[in-house]
Amino acid sequence: MRVLMLFLQKELKAIGSDKRVWPVYVVFPVLAIGLPTFLATLSPLLIRQGMASHDPGMLQISRLVQTMPGFAAMGPEEGMTRYLLRSVAVLFLLMPVALSSTSAAFSIVGEKQQRTLEPILATPVTDRQFLLGKLIAAGAPTVVMTWVTALVTITVVDVVTHGRYATLLLPDRFWALGILVLAPLLAAAVVLVTMRFSAKATDPQATVQATALVIIPGFLILIAVFGKVLTTYFAALWIGCLIMAVIDLFLFRGSVRTFRREEILTRWK
Amino acid sequence: MISAHGLSRSFDGRPAVEALTFHVPEGKLFALLGPNGAGKTTTVRMLLGLIGPTSGSATVAGHAIGGDPIAARAVRAACGLLTEAPGFYDRLSAWDNLLFFGRLYGMSDALLRTRVTHYLRLMDLWDRRDEAVGGYSKGMKQRLAIIRALFHDPKVVFFDEPTSGLDPEAALAVRDLIVKLKGEGRTIVVCTHNLDEAERLADLVGILKRRLLACDTLERLRAGAGDGARVHIAVRAGAAQHAQRLQGQPFAPHVDVTGETLRVTVGDAAVDTPRVVAALVQGGAEILEVRPETPSLESIYLHTLRGDH
Repeated sequence: MRVLMLFLQKELKAIGSDKRVWPVYVVFPVLAIGLPTFLATLSPLLIRQGMASHDPGMLQISRLVQTMPGFAAMGPEEGMTRYLLRSVAVLFLLMPVALSSTSAAFSIVGEKQQRTLEPILATPVTDRQFLLGKLIAAGAPTVVMTWVTALVTITVVDVVTHGRYATLLLPDRFWALGILVLAPLLAAAVVLVTMRFSAKATDPQATVQATALVIIPGFLILIAVFGKVLTTYFAALWIGCLIMAVIDLFLFRGSVRTFRREEILTRWK
Repeated sequence: MISAHGLSRSFDGRPAVEALTFHVPEGKLFALLGPNGAGKTTTVRMLLGLIGPTSGSATVAGHAIGGDPIAARAVRAACGLLTEAPGFYDRLSAWDNLLFFGRLYGMSDALLRTRVTHYLRLMDLWDRRDEAVGGYSKGMKQRLAIIRALFHDPKVVFFDEPTSGLDPEAALAVRDLIVKLKGEGRTIVVCTHNLDEAERLADLVGILKRRLLACDTLERLRAGAGDGARVHIAVRAGAAQHAQRLQGQPFAPHVDVTGETLRVTVGDAAVDTPRVVAALVQGGAEILEVRPETPSLESIYLHTLRGDH
């Protein structure tokens, strides 16, 4: 365990000393806090106005929301606000995906470039420890950041909507399961896929391009396709978590099996 | 401490090193010499268990290399490696870099801090320990890499070009340190192009060019170099005539003359030099100086490599 945390400590120190990467770690949290707060503050007003003026579009959305599981018993304003907030929970799935892929892209090719890979591999550290350390180093900071951002968002949303409804708007069980379980699993999958690119690459630029053009868009499409069903049916969210856990397990075992010290050391010039 | 038997390694069917057989006893320094691409780094990587051999076997610090991952870990734990390129995290300080690598060796924090402090002072880097390594000169990084190779107290140390990039004073300090390490009973392998350094430090010398062309003590390599030992003899006058008198003698098969100095090739310096001197004295020569010519490692190295062509 100590060895695994070493990579995380080192990664955190490197991020802390590299001011160029700080903006990346600021933009997403600001967006993730800002959008739900904006919706929680303004949507009740807009919904109330729309319902009062019998806006056909608003009435249609209200009817649609009330047909969805868990929303039937709520008034239109509360139901629609809760529904919108649940929809933007997807942001907290995107956040670890986008942020962890950047660190993962450099995880192994960066070691090659800095010539630190051979000294690391010359220590008694095993392939499994090395890869798990890299996984934690690339994934954990963004997952923790996602959790902290979610906590701030929940607090801010509940403060601005306090007393307006019978119960607090956030967190609901979808937020809890999605952010606490699915987000880390998604981050792990992204890191593992990106690390495989990183281990094969001979040029950091190639990994960054592969990450930006293939891996992140691929995961975004996945989230977009399944986002609706995951935020509607709680059972689907559970199943999504289980599937992602199995995928992570296979990806990790595959990474260990295909990690070739020799190839990395001898093919890298 | 290190034994290799027929150790070979190919990459994509092309042999990088072939049939290496050698033995380095405990506490000895083995200098591995060879041109670029000769296979020195591949050999070190095989001995450290970083890459496996295609054929052959080796034991390092009592553990067999290749195949068994537990033995490979044990080899890596027992060895220190100075890589050709230092390889540090530029944004981290020297202190943080060393702590990171030391913990990978499983050292306790208290021991690690004590050792790192000791070596940083020894290598004259203590005052700059909190600076980012990115700002270090090449020589400072090299000294830091030497600390990394030593701080876990390895039984076997592999140095790949240890004084590369160091100024003469720092290079001398590193050589002194290597001598000290040898004195402590550690087994040391030094890959180097610096023949002078190898000549000063090595107990055993291996000349590698894909195959091990020569591997022995420096004395034996010297004894076996070329077509015999040479002796310089300075006379007061008449060197050419004295040389003519020596020609044809069985103990002096070849004689060159430069000014008043004779350069005599002998079969065995210890046996033949007194005979040559006696013959010259009998011929009336006034001898001013007799000096055996010791073949340098450079001449042995070049002779061995040329012989391979």
